[in-house]
Amino acid sequence: MSENQKGKTMISRVTALLLLLASGIAMSQGTLEVQTTVQKEAVTTNEDGERIKELIPAETVVPGERVVYTITFRNTGEEPADDVIITNPISEELTYVQGSAFGPGMELQFSVDGQSFGAAEDLTVEEDGETRTATPEDYTHIRWVMQSDLSAGAQGTVRFSAQLN
Amino acid sequence: MLARILAAASCGVVLCCLANPALAEGTPAGTVIENTATLSFELDGNPATITSNTTSITVVELIDLAVTLQSPQTLVSAGDTNQALLFSVVNTGNGTETFQLAINSTVSGDDFDPVPSTVSIYFDSDGSGDFTAGDIPYVPGDNDPVLAPDASVAILILNDIPADRLNGDVGFSELIVSSATGSGSPGDDFAGQGDGGVTAVLGTSGGIDTVRGEYLVSDVQVSIQKSQTVSDPFGGNEPVPGATITYTIEVSVTGSGTAVGGIVEDVIPTFTTYVPGSLTLDAGTLTDAADADAGELNTSTTPTIVVRLGDVTATGSPRTVQFDVLID
Repeated sequence: MSENQKGKTMISRVTALLLLLASGIAMSQGTLEVQTTVQKEAVTTNEDGERIKELIPAETVVPGERVVYTITFRNTGEEPADDVIITNPISEELTYVQGSAFGPGMELQFSVDGQSFGAAEDLTVEEDGETRTATPEDYTHIRWVMQSDLSAGAQGTVRFSAQLN
Repeated sequence: MLARILAAASCGVVLCCLANPALAEGTPAGTVIENTATLSFELDGNPATITSNTTSITVVELIDLAVTLQSPQTLVSAGDTNQALLFSVVNTGNGTETFQLAINSTVSGDDFDPVPSTVSIYFDSDGSGDFTAGDIPYVPGDNDPVLAPDASVAILILNDIPADRLNGDVGFSELIVSSATGSGSPGDDFAGQGDGGVTAVLGTSGGIDTVRGEYLVSDVQVSIQKSQTVSDPFGGNEPVPGATITYTIEVSVTGSGTAVGGIVEDVIPTFTTYVPGSLTLDAGTLTDAADADAGELNTSTTPTIVVRLGDVTATGSPRTVQFDVLID
């Protein structure tokens, strides 16, 4: 390794450490990390006058506006992790946007009580003494069940959109 | 501190800065929505759960309103004063907002400009839907309506009708309602001016709504005249038991306007009994039942003749209703 390469490695290590310190928010136990961000769509006009949708960090939101939650996770250890499940609550002020969930290699499930989870079409709620299929307004939680191991060094991303009531 | 405890429980927590419950028109301004994801897994057969960082978004104030006209086209006569149009103003935003009211009667596209009355904007304080003595005048800057989310207020605007207007002339008058925080284009924002110091953002209304009402000058006078003839069982005209009284009600319209939706109602006198099948309108028989034809005998309370004349003009006048009763 040349001096130059060593220097680069050192810098990248230092940078990584600094990033970790700076963010200070990526939590981990053992060898897994999970992090979440919230964004919203902003429409801007470029120099050609075309309207472009882009995701910007969401700090404020108005009723009717949509936000996108992105959850990234990573196995930083040496061993594969089994039974990986990511669970995210859906605040009562938010309504899940139908069809917005993204999660390759994951089985998508919802819950209407935070206790039992199932595929959207299998969930029911009681209303006026009748049982009906749950709708996005009823969902209190969304979760992704990984269909394979999360091997050492691997990472994944899941995402969903919700609309502010 | 509360936030930290709740976040540690890894639920989506809602910290509401206001006492308002969740409202139909949207999450209250100032609400903070936090989110924490949970990751569970097994490593070497050992189950573990970790939580993510917590994101936080603040619901800002959306300024929006909806004004709707409650009055139908209002019939007036030339020279009338204090003619009211009723509007409903609803705060469709998610914060408490002060609104300012204004009247504009110089609207294009009509036949004449109504003249705003000396005091031209009132709260319909008694909820009567019309201008009455109990209604409180609006004084700009003094009693601007302050509406909570979803709350509404009924507003009357008053105009005088110029004396020289002719039958059929239409005059428009508008109620303009704007947010005291500001108005402009949807999406414009006002930093720190929302409830609890959050940003206020203009919704689709742009913080202002203008709605038009309509006056129609209707030069019409309606008169009604009732007469009776008696025929007794003995061929005479004595009002004795068993004698029949034929009542004739004549409705006349003069002037160039239209009397809209005229209804004749007449209670069957005591000590008499309606003769079934005797009701006529312009000599055409009407059934006694409440059905498709224009009249009936309403027996739900005191027996009463009801005949719906519809719209009557001078050329279609007079309309004549007749029926018989027997003296008991």
